[in-house]
Amino acid sequence: MAEESRPIGMSLPLPVLLGLAWLVPGLGHVLLNRRLRAAVFFVVVMVGFLLGIVLDGELMIPRAGDPLSYLATIASLGNGLLFFVARAVGLGQGVVTAAAYEFGNTFLLTAGMMNLLLVLDTHDIATGKKDW
Amino acid sequence: MLDHLSLMVTHALLIAVFFSFLWKRETGERWRYFLKVFGALVVGAIVLGWVMYPFPHS
Repeated sequence: MAEESRPIGMSLPLPVLLGLAWLVPGLGHVLLNRRLRAAVFFVVVMVGFLLGIVLDGELMIPRAGDPLSYLATIASLGNGLLFFVARAVGLGQGVVTAAAYEFGNTFLLTAGMMNLLLVLDTHDIATGKKDW
Repeated sequence: MLDHLSLMVTHALLIAVFFSFLWKRETGERWRYFLKVFGALVVGAIVLGWVMYPFPHS
């Protein structure tokens, strides 16, 4: 009878595992052998992020005199690698006059917050607080 | 195609799927939780929209 192998994620230092979980949605769960949930999370976050981009949403960066932009930046950065790639290729600049601008923002911020929750979930699994 | 109602329903769908898989372990309870969250978001938004309907927007 084959024994279930120890997940790769368990042999990584926790900060590295959490960093990887943040960079790519679902990667933390893949490394902890939660493949079905990883696939679902990846698709959900990707769809949310891509819809946000298509709808002319804005990947927020801090703006002087706008305290809420700092909170929005944290949520946007939650998208991990997607944030940096999109910004690097000029996407996610936000078109304020677009009809769906606010919807786009909502999708982008939601995707980022969901990915941050995935990092916390990865932490709970890796530290044994959650056994599934 | 991407009218506000469709976008709101799509958003509710993503949220409901996400939290069903994040917080629930068994398939049955995931389905129940999904329907509860999805229904609450969609119906709640429509009800809220009608509640705000009489108020002027300017």
